[in-house]
Amino acid sequence: MLFKQKHPQANEETGLYPVLHVAESLKTYQSDLAKKEVASLSELSMVVSSFSNVLKEADHFQEKLQDLGDSFSNIDRTAERFHQVRSEIASKVELSQKQVEDLGQVSSQIQQSYDEMAQIFSHLQTAINGIQTCMKKIVAIADQTDILAINASIEAAHAGSEGRGFAIVATQVKELAREIKLLAGDVNTGVRDVEQRASQLNDSILTSQQTLGQSMESMAQTGKGFQRITEAAEGAADVQTEIAGVIRTSQQDLQNLCMFFNQIRDQYQQVVKHIDQASKLGTTKSAMFEDMSNMLSQIRPLMEESKG
Amino acid sequence: MKQFYGMSPRGNLEEAVHGLNDPQLIMLFSNAKQFEAHVAALEHLYPGVPSIGCVGMSYQLSVAENGVGVIAFSGGVSVAANVLEHVSTMPVKYIRRLEQDVQTVHGSGRDTVCIDFCAGNDACVLTTLNTVLSKRSIPLVGGTGDQGKVSANGRIYEDAVAYAIVRNLNGRVKTYKENIYHPMGDYRFVASDTDRAKYILGSLNGRPAKQVYQSILHVTDEEILTRTFQNPFGKVNGDDICIISIKEVDGNALACYRQVNDSDILILLELGDYKAINQNTIRQILGDFPRRSAVFSVNCLFRYKLFSEHGYMGTYLREMTALGSHAGFVGYGEHYNNRFINQSMTCVVFE
Repeated sequence: MLFKQKHPQANEETGLYPVLHVAESLKTYQSDLAKKEVASLSELSMVVSSFSNVLKEADHFQEKLQDLGDSFSNIDRTAERFHQVRSEIASKVELSQKQVEDLGQVSSQIQQSYDEMAQIFSHLQTAINGIQTCMKKIVAIADQTDILAINASIEAAHAGSEGRGFAIVATQVKELAREIKLLAGDVNTGVRDVEQRASQLNDSILTSQQTLGQSMESMAQTGKGFQRITEAAEGAADVQTEIAGVIRTSQQDLQNLCMFFNQIRDQYQQVVKHIDQASKLGTTKSAMFEDMSNMLSQIRPLMEESKG
Repeated sequence: MKQFYGMSPRGNLEEAVHGLNDPQLIMLFSNAKQFEAHVAALEHLYPGVPSIGCVGMSYQLSVAENGVGVIAFSGGVSVAANVLEHVSTMPVKYIRRLEQDVQTVHGSGRDTVCIDFCAGNDACVLTTLNTVLSKRSIPLVGGTGDQGKVSANGRIYEDAVAYAIVRNLNGRVKTYKENIYHPMGDYRFVASDTDRAKYILGSLNGRPAKQVYQSILHVTDEEILTRTFQNPFGKVNGDDICIISIKEVDGNALACYRQVNDSDILILLELGDYKAINQNTIRQILGDFPRRSAVFSVNCLFRYKLFSEHGYMGTYLREMTALGSHAGFVGYGEHYNNRFINQSMTCVVFE
């Protein structure tokens, strides 16, 4: 079965229908364009939102960098105090060393005095010994005198009445010898006491001398300790110098990083500017869509009126 | 040039035009009942003088809510007045009239302005007018009249826009727009699900427009209608913001007083310090124009209501006299170049 194709109506071919068709198509395109624009603006809005977060994060990161820079400065300032502490230690050590040296000199002088005292004690012992020898001789003489007195008494007794006066003298001599011996005994007792106390004093001096010797040894050790402290403080100064060097390098790196971020920030600002501009252009496009729509909407009535 | 303002609260046109001599353009603002009679009478009184008119309230030191008001220019202007008809469907059909009038006045953006009174479909009308005016960078100031009819050169037209191309022969002209609102928060919306014909705004960022508005401002359906005085929408157009008033709730959508298009970028606005903004506008005009012949303005009906509620309208009009001869009318919508806006003031200043 054959169907004849209908011919288009003449007025559709020769009239303004194609223009109307074009206008309607343009309206459809305009409508589609507007929808795409809605989608584009939504995307742009999301870009703005996302980028806003990026900027916030960048600002936050830059603040952290700034904090890091401040921390470096604090470390540097703290490290600089090493130098100050080292100087203070050196000063204190120097002062203490001087005091120890002074103490050493005084101790030496005391040591010398102890030596002199030892000699004096030696002389004293000799003198005591001399006194004791003399006293022994005196006692021996008194003993001989006593024997002589006894002998004289015996002889006086033999002499009878003529010897009575001599016997009285012999008795007095004997008494004198006894008193001498008693006195010599007292002297010996006193000398022994002196000897004993001198010996005790000598022992004390020896003990003090030993203690002084130990103190001097300790002073010597203290001096070495001070030397080690000074060396350690010098070592701390070296550490401070190293820290300062590292911090300088870090600060330079940080500065470079900040400069990089500033450059990035400028770039970000440019991007924001372009996004804003794109957004503004988007809003002007919607006004143009409205104008296009307003003009296109008049074509159909015009066509219909011209057909009528 | 000189600007004349006369009014009669009783609707007596002869009283309103008392003292008006040798006008070169007459603008009539009448009431619904007397509009036709006033148009005819005016033509009879000043035959052949270019005129445009609409149903609306005029003002100088006070607003003439009823009766009749007349604003006229004389002494140093070149004028051509006419209409574009069938504005609801095809105002472009009459575009040659505008082209010829612009050609006749032979002005430029520096010294010429187009004043228009429109009966409807304002956005489409302004787009159409602008296709001609933009070629000479001629600015436009105007507004929407009541009752869907306008007049031009002694005739009444329904579904039309009446326009006057006014060239200042003795100096410059410049148009201004005053926006007493500023952006609220960082809200930014992409409009979609719109109906251009019904001025419907369906969705904002993909969510029902009514819900979005209510969730931000915590208002009921009824409160939305009055809240527009405080918080209208703003349509972003580059660096410019065009205010959009909310008319009513339509399901989950919002019906507005101007069309909203898919892909329009909208922001939420809030009322600013309007007194300071008024003063700033006055200062700006005084700075731009040390010598002023006249200022003709169009104030939105919503602004009139807002200022009246705040007891400020009288003060506002007195403040505007600092500019010299100031007069205008209350529009149902304002026109500024190729943009149809709400809740704004537009004006043209003649040097």
